[in-house]
Amino acid sequence: MKDDNKQPPKGTWLQIAKAVFWAFFGVRKQSDLDSDASSLTPAQVIIGGLIGAALFVMSLIIVVKIVT
Amino acid sequence: MAAVHDHDIAHAHDHHPTGLMRWLTSTNHKDIGTMYLWFSFIMFLTGGVMALTIRAELFQPGLQIVNPEFFNQLTTMHGLVMIFGAIMPAFVGFANWQVPMMIGAPDMAFARMNNWSFWLLPPAALLLLGSFFAPGGAPAGGWTIYPPLSVQMGMGMDMAIFAIHILGASSIMGSINIITTILNMRAPGMTLMKMPMFVWTWLITAYLLVLVMPVLAGAVTMLLTDRNFGTNFFNAAGGGDPVMFQHIFWFFGHPEVYIMILPAFGIVSEIIPTFSRKPLFGYSSMVYATASIAILSCIVWAHHMFTAGMPVTGQLFFMYATMLIAVPTGVKVFNWTATMWRGSMSFETPMLFAIGFIFLFTLGGFSGVVCAIVPIDIQVQDTYYVIAHFHYVLVSGALFAIFGGAYYWLPKWTGHMYDETLGKWHFWLSMFFFNLAFFVQHFLGLAGMPRRIPDYALQFADFNMISTIGAFGFGLSQLLFLYVVLKCIRGGAKSPAKSWEGATSLEWTLPSPPPYHSFETPPVIR
Repeated sequence: MKDDNKQPPKGTWLQIAKAVFWAFFGVRKQSDLDSDASSLTPAQVIIGGLIGAALFVMSLIIVVKIVT
Repeated sequence: MAAVHDHDIAHAHDHHPTGLMRWLTSTNHKDIGTMYLWFSFIMFLTGGVMALTIRAELFQPGLQIVNPEFFNQLTTMHGLVMIFGAIMPAFVGFANWQVPMMIGAPDMAFARMNNWSFWLLPPAALLLLGSFFAPGGAPAGGWTIYPPLSVQMGMGMDMAIFAIHILGASSIMGSINIITTILNMRAPGMTLMKMPMFVWTWLITAYLLVLVMPVLAGAVTMLLTDRNFGTNFFNAAGGGDPVMFQHIFWFFGHPEVYIMILPAFGIVSEIIPTFSRKPLFGYSSMVYATASIAILSCIVWAHHMFTAGMPVTGQLFFMYATMLIAVPTGVKVFNWTATMWRGSMSFETPMLFAIGFIFLFTLGGFSGVVCAIVPIDIQVQDTYYVIAHFHYVLVSGALFAIFGGAYYWLPKWTGHMYDETLGKWHFWLSMFFFNLAFFVQHFLGLAGMPRRIPDYALQFADFNMISTIGAFGFGLSQLLFLYVVLKCIRGGAKSPAKSWEGATSLEWTLPSPPPYHSFETPPVIR
């Protein structure tokens, strides 16, 4: 059951970034999701998510620095 | 979701011990799920009696029923019992019953560990409740067990710390079991993105639990060594820092809030499509929103500590991050509403609780956004406004979803339909008395009534009286639920395999009640 797809992973950095961005927003188009599910590996999504979380925290800190 | 399976009921391998040994030695996910649910209901009544004692004392100004020391023990233990004893085990009970059936598995992945996860709970509950009889009584510094109070208390505190250790170990084992089951035991064709929403929310919740329960264990272990072995982690006189405890505690405590609400989202996401007779609107965005809420929940903890002292930079960071959680939560509320839009809706008891959930949880979410705004939080922190906020999220949120889920799956679990009329009475009584008890607490909080006090100034008298009447009405209404469940277990109209016309997930392909081992032959998902 581990293999949801038999194809080798072919997700690009841009694809990972897009998937993580929409995940943070909480919305995703079904067709984009299907292409994510077939081309991204869990490791890619997790690493992308961690980088995304770090960027999110840094951007919040920058905003806070600007307004204080 | 279409599924085929050739389950032969007569061939069900239900050779298992009977009587007490059936329950003590059980490795069956349904039996263990049942035990979790009964345990949580007993703890719910226990914590409820504490709540009613609190409300009885607050019926009038002055001290009438309990002394202030015991009152503090009651507020503390009410929180600990309801969170660790009632809400969390209830959701694990749902996971045990439903996850294997919903993904087409015969049982949980680690069946013996599952038994141990459950049987750790009763000793932990005995330790926790036994602390009332220890010298000095039960913990009395609030459920957040902040030092220095928690360092100074009697041995009841040590008992509570051990209870939290045991409950944490149980939760971690339960989570590992759920993650392994979901990732490895899905039926052929059941890809991750075909899983029912309840399974998704529990997968994410289980990861959150594995992440934060060790943090709580670390915090209470440091408390334990501060109390008994001369360390000074949190003792300012010895160079420690009590505020550090608050940071560590809330790094656990805020994700914990989502641990208690994400499975509720999952249950509601099963009920709403069934009774709207439409697939869940925006399934994929629901999955993404759940993941998003889980990630954000880990970077907002210090909004519980705005008044504990922190730089304005920190306040603004945590305020912005907290307010952003409203975005994925809003996505969920809109998706549920869109699922109902132009659906062929019917209003059986589970649907009533689900709609009540959406309405009141959204209210509780909004008052949460109010509390997230630093200048307002400085006004309302430690007042009844906060009490009102988190009871809207945890009672009309988590608990209403638990009731909805119980009514939804009772026909599957017992093989009998429950009494629909009494179920509706239970909903409407709960709805009325819940709002009577808690809505007025917003006013009390805004007027400045502090939480965790046994006595109050005269101007708060009327709203407190209303709130107490509501609380007793709500508490007594839950006895009706107990009656409905017992009546349903003992008999009633036979439920077909598919108890609800609009239900689609895999558990409805099994007979009601399901055989002892759910899917001996994995179903094939088309």
